[in-house]
Amino acid sequence: MIYELTEKDMERLLQKIGEEYDVFGSKEELGEVVFSKISSFSEVSEKKSSYSPKDFLIKRSENILEIPRVEKKAVFGVKSCDLRGFYLMDLQILNKDPFYTVRRQNTLFINFVCTEKCPGGFCTSFGGPVLDDYDIQVLHIGQSYFVEADPRYEGYLAGFRPALDQDVFVKHSEEFNRKYGKIELNGIEKRMKWSSKLWTEFANYCISCGACNYSCPTCYCIDVYDDETGRKKEWDSCILEGFTRTAAGNVRPDLSDRLRQRFYHKFKYYKLSKGEYLCTGCNRCVDDCPVDIDIKEVITHDYDKE
Amino acid sequence: MITIKNEYLPEKMKPIRFRMETDDTYTIVFSKRTMSHAGQFYMLSVDGVGESPISVASGFGNPLTFSIKAVGSVTKYIMDHRDSAIGLRGPYGNAWPWKGADHIVAIAGGIGIPPIKALIEDMESEGNLGDLTVLYGARSPKDIVYKNEIEAWKKELDFRITVDNGDPSWKGNVGVVTTLIPGVERYKNGSAFVIGPPIMMKFSVQELIKHGFSPENIYLSLERRMECGIGVCGHCNIGQWYVCESGPIFRYSDVMNEPEVFL
Ligand SMILES: Cc1cc2nc3c(=O)[nH]c(=O)nc-3n(C[C@H](O)[C@H](O)[C@H](O)COP(=O)(O)OP(=O)(O)OC[C@H]3O[C@@H](n4cnc5c(N)ncnc54)[C@H](O)[C@@H]3O)c2cc1C
Ligand code: SF4
Ligand code: SF4
Ligand code: FES
Repeated sequence: MIYELTEKDMERLLQKIGEEYDVFGSKEELGEVVFSKISSFSEVSEKKSSYSPKDFLIKRSENILEIPRVEKKAVFGVKSCDLRGFYLMDLQILNKDPFYTVRRQNTLFINFVCTEKCPGGFCTSFGGPVLDDYDIQVLHIGQSYFVEADPRYEGYLAGFRPALDQDVFVKHSEEFNRKYGKIELNGIEKRMKWSSKLWTEFANYCISCGACNYSCPTCYCIDVYDDETGRKKEWDSCILEGFTRTAAGNVRPDLSDRLRQRFYHKFKYYKLSKGEYLCTGCNRCVDDCPVDIDIKEVITHDYDKE
Repeated sequence: MITIKNEYLPEKMKPIRFRMETDDTYTIVFSKRTMSHAGQFYMLSVDGVGESPISVASGFGNPLTFSIKAVGSVTKYIMDHRDSAIGLRGPYGNAWPWKGADHIVAIAGGIGIPPIKALIEDMESEGNLGDLTVLYGARSPKDIVYKNEIEAWKKELDFRITVDNGDPSWKGNVGVVTTLIPGVERYKNGSAFVIGPPIMMKFSVQELIKHGFSPENIYLSLERRMECGIGVCGHCNIGQWYVCESGPIFRYSDVMNEPEVFL
């Protein structure tokens, strides 16, 4: 059931959710859109946040010998492409990593469907920006907020006005796709070539900073290591040389090997093991790359010509 | 509030026995007995130093045993601090699929021998040792691990050993382990289990295929950098598989087209 809420209703919804959850939202602070605690719906920014909300579920760095007390959090204003990242990660790490799992179970995401495409974004290639899987999904058109909830959260919408048009999300999706088009993936998992010169070309510019991994809402790899303060896990990057180094040698000694691994993981390995591409088209890795490596080129490259 | 088991939290224990096998390889035994099977591994750790995946050398209801070559921070620390408590979590990964095979040729190179020791014990417990041939290659006579056990195994099963470089007192085979492969009897539905350094595995597979084994009947225990052991950290993939989750043992025909099988 889709409900039609006014801005006042959204405020009521937020307060209702706030009785059970600590409420966070994307919010403009000093020119950046960041996630922080909010107390009113009016604080929520509908702009794309500067960073993905990944660290609600995977901390940049934390001690792994003890699971901390996890508070229930509700996060308003997440973009669909970022939220979809969690559904993709779920397929590999939910119910395996206890830290991710306990946070995932205690965090409610309220995603806002974009009405205009962000520069560079290609979420339409992955079915976006309207999602099939969500907690509570919001589409803001004119004065109206169309809201739909997963059965687990439907209760929060009780008492609000059902929308007359129950197809608003479907129609919005069609219109958005018509307006912006999409990059066809075209069986990319079968098209990519191991020996493509694309990997060495990228390696010529790449400075191994790892920004693409850190900004990506689907990159879940972590480094586990000990230091004086205990055993930690920390965001890791498959672009770094040490990622696969062992006492017996390194399977990916060259940067081009590691770049290829990143794209193969996203567009081939995950597709084969989980049935989904490990990318949502958010374009964050492109926005944050200091040398302008564009993952879209991996999709559009003509491998047959090589 | 949901309570959840912290899979990363190891159980801490001091070994009850410590034995040097060679200059740099040692065996530790714990009083703990688990139902872990040959081929599986544990994450062993030392607080403040790190964690390492180590194969079960003796499990299956026996006191849990590991044999470790000191190569880096964790593996050296344990050797140099014999009295310290070691963190253990596991067992993880799959086991050698020996049940149902007609005959098994197990080929171990270097520090690949511990999971083959576990295999011998696993098969022995069901009276199947007649179906096992072991080929073991060490670098030199002084690098041979399990010298005492080997004498006993030679009486119970077809156990063959070779060294890359002999010494004046060595009377046995000299040459890499693959040179033993042509000498093993061919069984129609025989399987081969291979574990060791990447280059040794690569040549063993080639030799096995020459000797009539099909890729479907060859199994490899693959080694990758591992940090979590439970399919979370993303370090140990070979193609679409995480070695800690889908391995460490793979049927060769399943992975033979992956360019990164051997380092
Ligand atoms: C499934 C499996 C079973 C193994 N069984 C045995 C065994 O029975 N006996 C034995 O001596 N060795 C075994 N190894 C190899 C052993 O894990 C490494 O030698 C060990 O991790 C080195 O750790 P370190 O801290 O001493 O070395 P460092 O070089 O200081 O390693 C730092 C970290 O890198 C990682 N790492 C380094 N080398 C390896 C490697 N070869 N494989 C995986 N991760 C690595 C580990 O996370 C380690 O903590 C096994 C490896 C795997 C994957
Ligand atoms: S990629 Fe799509 S969903 Fe994400 S911010 Fe851009 S337009 Fe919105
Ligand atoms: S576009 Fe880049 S950052 Fe966004 S999901 Fe895909 S790989 Fe990750
Ligand atoms: S060791 Fe972490 S995914 Fe395999």
